[in-house]
Amino acid sequence: MQNFKNSRFYGYMILAVMVIFFYGLFKILTPSNFGSLTNLYSYFQSSIIYSVGGCGLYFIVVMGLFDFAVGSNIVLSSIVGVILSEKFGYIGFVVGCVGCATLVGVIIGLLYNQLNVPSMIVTVGIMLVLESVAVFAAGGVKQTLAPEMRFFSGAPGNIILALLAFILMWFILNYTRIGTYCNAIGSNEFTAKNMGIDVKKYKLIGFALLHFFVGIMAILTVSYGTTMTALTGMSTMSRNFQPLMGTFFGVAFRKYGTPITAIVVGEFIIAIIFNGFVALGAPTTIQNVVTGAALLLIVTLTARGGRGSVVK
Amino acid sequence: MSDKILLEAKHIDKRFGITHAVNHVSLTINAGEIRALIGENGSGKSTFCQMLCGIYTIGGGTFTLDGQEMHVKNQVEANKLGVSIIVQEMGTLSGLTVAENIFLGHEDPFMHYGINDTRAMIKEGQRLLDEYGFSKIRAGAMIDSYNFEDRKLVEIVKATYMKPKILIVDETTTALSQKGRLELYKIINEIRADGRSVIFISHDLGEILLHCDTITILRDGEYIDTVNANDVKEDDLKRLMVGREIGSAYYRTDYGKEISPEVVISIKDVTVPGQIQDISFELHRGEILGFGGLSECGMHEVGKAVFGASLDRKGSVKLSDGTEINDIPSAIKHSIAYASKDRDNESIILNESIRNNIVLPSLDDLAEKHILKSRKLNKFAKTHAEKMQTKMQGIHQFISDLSGGNKQKVVLARWLGKGSDILVLDSPTRGIDVKVKQAIYALMQELTAQGKSIIMISEEIPELLGMSDRILIMKDGKINGEFMRSESLSEEDLIAKMV
Repeated sequence: MQNFKNSRFYGYMILAVMVIFFYGLFKILTPSNFGSLTNLYSYFQSSIIYSVGGCGLYFIVVMGLFDFAVGSNIVLSSIVGVILSEKFGYIGFVVGCVGCATLVGVIIGLLYNQLNVPSMIVTVGIMLVLESVAVFAAGGVKQTLAPEMRFFSGAPGNIILALLAFILMWFILNYTRIGTYCNAIGSNEFTAKNMGIDVKKYKLIGFALLHFFVGIMAILTVSYGTTMTALTGMSTMSRNFQPLMGTFFGVAFRKYGTPITAIVVGEFIIAIIFNGFVALGAPTTIQNVVTGAALLLIVTLTARGGRGSVVK
Repeated sequence: MSDKILLEAKHIDKRFGITHAVNHVSLTINAGEIRALIGENGSGKSTFCQMLCGIYTIGGGTFTLDGQEMHVKNQVEANKLGVSIIVQEMGTLSGLTVAENIFLGHEDPFMHYGINDTRAMIKEGQRLLDEYGFSKIRAGAMIDSYNFEDRKLVEIVKATYMKPKILIVDETTTALSQKGRLELYKIINEIRADGRSVIFISHDLGEILLHCDTITILRDGEYIDTVNANDVKEDDLKRLMVGREIGSAYYRTDYGKEISPEVVISIKDVTVPGQIQDISFELHRGEILGFGGLSECGMHEVGKAVFGASLDRKGSVKLSDGTEINDIPSAIKHSIAYASKDRDNESIILNESIRNNIVLPSLDDLAEKHILKSRKLNKFAKTHAEKMQTKMQGIHQFISDLSGGNKQKVVLARWLGKGSDILVLDSPTRGIDVKVKQAIYALMQELTAQGKSIIMISEEIPELLGMSDRILIMKDGKINGEFMRSESLSEEDLIAKMV
């Protein structure tokens, strides 16, 4: 029984039960506006955007780090991608988004290693800088993706791109040193160092990978919304949290060996809850309260430490 | 054991601030030799070994292994040269599989163009586990799904599968059951037969005399002597470790002492699900009440239950005035102290100073109109740390810098400072050298003479026999036998009730 409770299958089962529970709940509450196959497909398409970011965040969250610059990098990279797409087509769009985002990740990683201050502080500073750079790059105007550049705005383009990102994440976690070393650093940095792991190098790789995935998320985000406006005053902060929710699922389900599935399904569950409230006609504030409460409930049920255990 | 020198240490030196942890130690170890390294806590034996295997950088001197001078920066480099270590604490990493832990830092054989052949790694890990007789551990499973002892077995595989020339075993046996210990001894003997060598660190002198060929003694970071195991007895080793005779005063010598009829605390029908069942006993004024049994018998939970630290406890813990103890704050308020077996995790705050560790439960008493004055806290901490003869640079030194024995002294200083009348000491001398042991035993006698009462939980039968006025033996979560202090009481009497 104990073996079953630690198995991959058990992890999948919990995720499936949660999907069925929340789907069933809203289907009963509002049967006509919620939960048709078309609706579910639409929820899935919106959730995979955040799942891609959630995959990226996983690399640093398992190492005990955090990044507040994700949202501002999505905005900046989208703007750079849109501007470059005007001159270089799809290549400019993809390279602009992913290249810009990854470069930001490398800079954050280097700064974090050099300054030797907590990642939260470094990334808050970078967030403010990126917001201003985005305003400067956009020239103060809303950037619109040209209609002929919108292959990733819907199926199958968005699903193909997200699937490629998930496969890449799965490959890195299971078939390269990076996944093992990120987990090792998160478990005990001192021991990891003694095992010959270059901790600084892998933290830098972690930030670079996070923002590489943020670049893919930027492609999906600006394709889905077709426009991007540069904002200042920490307005990009809210964009950090939706992918992070998926990451929480991933970290919670790591013990079952199913982090990527948990990120994808976790974001889908959040989308079901969010859209369920939209279908019920609940005001946005209530939606946020209930989505936050649902996240707390889910993580409590799945990742809670045993009684008496120390949780920080 | 051959005459060929496998390892030569020349003038090995290490300082931590003003502490001279290892002072120009030189020694040689031959091929096929099992060398014990003994000394008091803080004598430098672990530091010496951690320099050898790359955990600490070498402060001075050289290690030469098989004729080649070593310059290692970390454990993996040491492993590659043929030195590996099984550490005292948890040496495996959570969040990784068993196979990933075994091959961490040594993934190259499974990497092809940067891609890890996970399946091959798990297969090889499982082959090794099967070969060692640890088939119940699955290489593909997450390490987190195994208990502390099984994780130690994984560490044994990790440290030895590459057939190191020198294996360091740093106080590992205390974490293993009898079966696990036998497996480790078997591996050590195979290494000896193979012409390789082992450095064995332990405070269990009986174990050392039984399994080692030679014994090197360190004291205060300095090399004292190397002796043949066949030529010495435990008392000789104690004398060499401490620098003077440790003899008759080690345990109590008094017998026939009357136990006071005054009961200070009554435990009635206490049950903690899955741990202990219907435990009832009384502790008397000035009494040392020993609790013994096999490690999983529930005796450690008794200490927590008395201190109000057990979860889901049923039954009552009552002081003589009828006050019920149901939680830790009320236990401390009513003069109960508790020193846990898991010292680093449950008794001390590692990243805090000695001062702050000592004053912690006494802050309310030390505050003047809710204001804490640094001078007063310093004086309080210094008085009690010095009373316990804590070996330290000062009360502001971090407790993490201290040896196990000195950490335990700080724990006791804390409760002495609080003026606790009932002390629950779980494994008070675990991992502690003979000199500190002697000091702790003397303190226990001093405290009981003052009318304080002690519950001493111990896995060491000689300690129970040597120090207790009364002994309760536990088995399967229940009290299975009670013995009064007596010269005629033997280890066999206690063991008969344990198993």
